[in-house]
Formats: sequence, structure tokens, C-alpha cells
Amino acid sequence: MLLFRGPHWDKGLSTNELQQAMNEVMAWFEGLNERSKIKGAQPLGGQGRVISGTDGRFVVDGPFAESKEAVGGYLILQADSLDEAVEIARSMPALRYGVSVEVRPILAECPILQRHPELVRRANHRVAEQLWVAAAA
Amino acid sequence: MSTTTQSDYLLLFRGNVWDRGLSPAQLQKVVSDWMAWFERLKAEGKCTGGHPLEEVGKVVSGKQRTVADGPFAESKEAIGGYFYLTAVDENEAIEIAKQCPGLEFGSVVEVRPVADICSVKQRAEEYSERELAGATASKRAYETVSQH
Repeated sequence: MLLFRGPHWDKGLSTNELQQAMNEVMAWFEGLNERSKIKGAQPLGGQGRVISGTDGRFVVDGPFAESKEAVGGYLILQADSLDEAVEIARSMPALRYGVSVEVRPILAECPILQRHPELVRRANHRVAEQLWVAAAA
Repeated sequence: MSTTTQSDYLLLFRGNVWDRGLSPAQLQKVVSDWMAWFERLKAEGKCTGGHPLEEVGKVVSGKQRTVADGPFAESKEAIGGYFYLTAVDENEAIEIAKQCPGLEFGSVVEVRPVADICSVKQRAEEYSERELAGATASKRAYETVSQH
């Protein structure tokens, strides 16, 4: 998954510069699409909410739209390796204007489970138990 | 924001160390609650996809296209995974986010509407239109003046 951070990279660009940058970005997307590298991609709206606390007690506006860290969109990439994904991220034209791209491998299983193998063992044990009960019945 | 149209939202789960200090029983519960929540939302047609993200990754930035390790492995801000939601409105998306079983242990959920068009592209189009309108207006003004 590529996360595009810093959605206000167009500030300070002239209309012509912005138009050209936008064309480059669109051509980049289309190029990846033609190579069947894109499994999904969406821009995210500037408004949003951040929820925290037990039962989601705290609901605040966010993230800060002006922040360089704010995620402005994402792209789910079909890549053979992290290296290939990083090379694709490096070819993103808006990097020149201050966008940063976070490259994160998508997992099939939650990393918390990977950190706690005893949970997996216990879950497997439960499944085995159910199978045994089913077989006995 | 509209309150009547069905829209898509992305839930971004932030914080990747909130499981520290939980007992195995607590962990077992929160993990199975989380899975059950995901399965229920999928069955209700509210969630069309979601994945955890590997904790390590890379961050590419700058004109030199520098590649750094990231995000920081132990961070309250780091995104640990996402759900893709289809909700009636933002309130429903928020209500769903409030059900996240990780919240009571410090996980944070960011709710973001999925946009039809990239905000930068939209601004670029607005600027071009304005400039075009400006050019047409000055041309008209010039023609009006030169007629007299």
C-alpha cells in the first residue's frame, strides 16, 4: 500500500506549473494502470474525524489538512517485492513538490498475532477441539 | 457534508503498540472481538475490505527521492491497518469506528471520506477555469472598449 502524505503540495505553484504537475501525476497513474500494477487507488477527502478512547468517547476533527503528515490518498500496488514497490514510489512525480510516499506491505494476518504465537496456537487448539467434537457427534 | 448519500469511508487504525502490557486473555479477547467485528461488518455489507499492514516499510521523500526506513516501529501515529467502509453517511461511519475493540487500549481510528476527485486536481481545474474566465472577461472588455 502506498500512502501519499502532504496533500497541499500544490501551494505556491503557478497555474501552468500545477497543470503540468497534475498531467505528470495522471500519466504516472495511467502508466501503472496499463502495467496492471494498481489494485485500487482513491484520494481521501480533506475532512475527517479522529476517534479515540474507550467506546470512542473522543471524536475530534482531523487530521490537520495542512499537515505534511496527513494522508491525502492511497494506492494498493501489485508488486513482486518491497524493492519494486519502493522503485515505483520513487517514480511518483509529486515527490518533487514535497509529497512523501509511505510504502507498506499488506499482510494477510494481523501482526499482533505474529507477535503472540501462543494466541495462534490457542486458536488452532480451539479449532481442533471443535473438529473433534464434530467428529464425535 | 451530505447526510443522505451513501458514501465510502476509509478507517485508518493508528498506533501499533497498544497491545503491549495486555495479558494473554485480554489479547485473545481483543483479537477475536476485532475479527468478529470485521466479519459482522462484511456480512452487513458495510465493509468491503480491510487489511493489516506490516509494521516495517519505507518512506520515500524529497527531490532526491530519498528512501528511509519507516514508519517508526513504535508509534501512536503509525497506521497499522485499514477498513474500507460503505456507510449511509459520516455519522454512521463514526458510529462504526466507535465500535473498534482496540479503542479501550489506546488504538485511534481516523475516519476519512473517500473522494471522487483528488483535491489537487480539483484545485488545478478551478484555477484553469478561473484563468480562462479571466482571459475571456478581459478579451470582452477589450472588444467593448475598442468598439467605442
